[in-house]
Amino acid sequence: MSATPSLRPIRPARHARFLDDGQLADLRAASLEILEEVGVHCPSKAVRDLYAEHGALVDEAREVVRLPADLVVRAMARAPRGYVMGARDPSFDLVLDGTALYVATDGCGIQVLEPDGSRRPSTATDVATAARLADALPAVGFYWPMLSAQDHPLTAPLHELLASYPNTVKHVQTETVMGARPARYAVEMARVLAGDDATLRARPPLSALICTIAPLAQDDEGMEGALVLAEAGIPVGFMSMATAGSTGPATIPGTVVAGDAEIVAALTLVQLVHPGAPVFHSLMTGMMDPRTGAYLATSREGEIAYVVGVELAHAWGVPTLAGVYGTDARTPGWQAAAEAAVALTLCALAGAETGSGMGLLESCTLFTPEQLVLDADLHERVRCTLAAFDTSREALALDVIRTVGPKGHYLYERHTRDELRRRRFSSLTGQVTPDGIPVEPVDAARAEAARILAEHHPEPLDDARARELARIVAAADREAEAVALGVGVGR
Amino acid sequence: MSGPDVRGGASAAVPAGGALAASTAAASAAAPSATPPLEPIRSHRRLQFLDDEQLDRLQDATLRILEEVGVRFPSEAALEILAGHGATVDRASQVVRFPPDLVRRALADAPRYFTMAARDPRFDLHLEEGVSYFTTDGCGVATIDFDTREERPSRKSDVAEMARIADCLPSIGFMWPTVSAQDHGATSQLHEIDAAVNNTVKHFQGMVQGGELARRAIEMATVLAGSREALRERPMLSDLICSIAPLAHDHDGLEAALAFAEAGIPVGLLAMPTLGTTAPATSAGALVVGDAEVISGIVLLQLAFPGAPVFHSIMKAWADPRNGNYVGYALDSRARYAPVEMAHHWGLPSLGACFGTDSPAAGTWQAGVEVALDPLLGGLASPEIVTGMGLARTYTLLYPEAIILDDDVYQRARHALLAEEISDETLALDVIADVGPGGHFLAETHTRTHMRTSLKRGLTHEPAPGGGYRDPGEVARERVAWIRANHHPEPLEPAKAAELTRILAAADREHGPGA
Repeated sequence: MSATPSLRPIRPARHARFLDDGQLADLRAASLEILEEVGVHCPSKAVRDLYAEHGALVDEAREVVRLPADLVVRAMARAPRGYVMGARDPSFDLVLDGTALYVATDGCGIQVLEPDGSRRPSTATDVATAARLADALPAVGFYWPMLSAQDHPLTAPLHELLASYPNTVKHVQTETVMGARPARYAVEMARVLAGDDATLRARPPLSALICTIAPLAQDDEGMEGALVLAEAGIPVGFMSMATAGSTGPATIPGTVVAGDAEIVAALTLVQLVHPGAPVFHSLMTGMMDPRTGAYLATSREGEIAYVVGVELAHAWGVPTLAGVYGTDARTPGWQAAAEAAVALTLCALAGAETGSGMGLLESCTLFTPEQLVLDADLHERVRCTLAAFDTSREALALDVIRTVGPKGHYLYERHTRDELRRRRFSSLTGQVTPDGIPVEPVDAARAEAARILAEHHPEPLDDARARELARIVAAADREAEAVALGVGVGR
Repeated sequence: MSGPDVRGGASAAVPAGGALAASTAAASAAAPSATPPLEPIRSHRRLQFLDDEQLDRLQDATLRILEEVGVRFPSEAALEILAGHGATVDRASQVVRFPPDLVRRALADAPRYFTMAARDPRFDLHLEEGVSYFTTDGCGVATIDFDTREERPSRKSDVAEMARIADCLPSIGFMWPTVSAQDHGATSQLHEIDAAVNNTVKHFQGMVQGGELARRAIEMATVLAGSREALRERPMLSDLICSIAPLAHDHDGLEAALAFAEAGIPVGLLAMPTLGTTAPATSAGALVVGDAEVISGIVLLQLAFPGAPVFHSIMKAWADPRNGNYVGYALDSRARYAPVEMAHHWGLPSLGACFGTDSPAAGTWQAGVEVALDPLLGGLASPEIVTGMGLARTYTLLYPEAIILDDDVYQRARHALLAEEISDETLALDVIADVGPGGHFLAETHTRTHMRTSLKRGLTHEPAPGGGYRDPGEVARERVAWIRANHHPEPLEPAKAAELTRILAAADREHGPGA
């Protein structure tokens, strides 16, 4: 068994605001106007009824829900600004209080890149392997199941959780659990992990991210699942991936408010039905490539939208899951590094509480262990760079400077020996083999990932809870199979 | 050649993708190419990373070092000036100690802003609050040959090539000698000026050391300006002088600095402390050692020539405790902003330090990850001028495509720091209402109008013929080839070019191999 190294979140010494109060007020007012006048498409009758019950205006024929501004404002006021996302080991609990940015792995990839360059579809075993790697990296604050458990097509989301928990002591966030029935199984799993309901609410070991559909639409399974999770006290976030030019207007502010309106419509429902439930806001807008129609996550001018998303979440009074990392590159290299740095730095400066996106290539679809190690190195760079600058007496070192004087050197000073050890260098760059040949950092990352996977085995889940989780997922499997065969009951 | 240019940054002047390499012939005979307007980083949000109390502590430490430890000035002229103004000079050791009030009085004469002029006045850099102009990197010693791709010692023609590339990139506000004109021996620094001013209309910042070479450089700058008075008004040349850590100046550097300052040519003092060898192993300690070197040099220049345009720069490096190697990039990039804030706290303009990866090659993960934060941090701290794009292997090796890759990182930062326009037109509420829930925006006039300007294609999103996107390194190499074949900036007037050649010949006779 290996100890999981302490988390190293990004704690910026300074925070910055990129939009001014007037601009944020304009954006919020625009979202409210959209919600009141245009509304969102809500295909679930059950969810529409809940909206109607709490004062929303429902057009049953068009399945569109419109939300009066004061209803939205009142509901959003009930959402907590911060809370704890629990971990299996309490020393890895994430306190969302705005002082630190915790970054998760990316999630739901579908392919694994093998060392020989070949690719294969992902399985539950890959989810487990990636969890173990993530557990060993202090830069990874919490775990998104990195890959889809495609060997369990009917209940992949639950198998992803089943593969994750035994392999990391960190908080797990699902981005695939959809629908009331899978959500109920996920809640059961979280309750087993927490031990009891009070702990589940105080330190939920699971959180969930639900995608809305741009423009201005909800997924019925997503919303129904979200309500089940929120009822149990599991933090639920909504993400809009509105894309400028296709599912959003071709201007960043237009796409931002269209996406924000989707998110706020969903958050409002949760607060109307389960007041005070922990929620988060996640605006990951993209830009359409006009030549190919593709979603670009990392266009030059689109990145500011991620920071705007962070500030909008805070303007609504809820924490954020920020869009950081994420690359369109096909292999680890210059592009993946160059694309990731700006959003990560800006979102950290803006005070984002959480973010996700480490470790996948090819627009969040392709997993390779070394990419996670490389992304962790970038995280460490941003962490060190935004940390407080030390101007203490010891750091200023005037005594040593006086001793060495003009034109001396500092090599033999004790201060040098003590302090140089504390300076942080990348474990990937500047490496040489024993015979002095430089090691390419991507190769060093591959070797580091292999070393971790050979050596790192985090504190296992106790047998009783492991058996219980397996039992829950087996029951879900049986039910899903029955439903698939047409013998089960509806959801 | 590909269609109309819809790209930002490097590509604002460079058609991208496609059949670039083909178009080699026609260019040089035709009319000169227009140099595209500059795109400096104008950060609408500034961030002070260190608080005033920390900056005061650093400044106090520098003043104490200057007063109690002193700095070595190996130049009789410098010692004379400093002694004459009340500094404590030890002639034997050449160490000068400075009373704090002398330092403060001298710095009060230094201008906060000035103009770094260009051959074409439209490219003059009027230094100001909140605007950062970047340069090429310098001064490398080896080049991956533009044609053969083999590594070889750098030469004057490389400076000329880089000047044309720099001229074509809106991200490049002014130019450094990207590599050394090693084929010109002792007068290489003058030949670098010649290669640059013949191939770019932008401002050039040289690295001329020594009184004699400085006087030749001033002659060259005077030819460019037209007269000594015009030179003082609009200096098209500035110069960068390195101190020697810890706490010493270089004789040739001091002589050149004094000569340039007298002529009104902006002079930068650059300290390069290395944590653990030439400086304490703590960042604050290294920065105050560097600051003391820079400030002592600036005090000398202000005492000798009050009001002379000067700028402040500290570039910090590390000795890797694992192997003693010189490391430009540790995990900590606070050196991108801390020295800038120190300079501004003194009321001086700052030359910020960005780019110059330790990666032995361009286009690698390391070359991306090390520099990726730089222009963003630089933009937030807002140094007036910033080095430098285009070198690898700890600013010693020129890769032709490196400047294009660095430019892409620069443009990402520049866009991220632009003010976001939130207006009725950009919010597009009418369009959102028209499309309604579950529709799409593809067919809207608003989409057609704005999509053209919304997406500025970076190097990473050049569509590949078979779908997906092209390798950014390949795209970068192609853009270099295109610039070399097609971008020929307005040439220097023949009379001035001839005059520069005459000055160089004289300098070569005096200092060259035969001298």
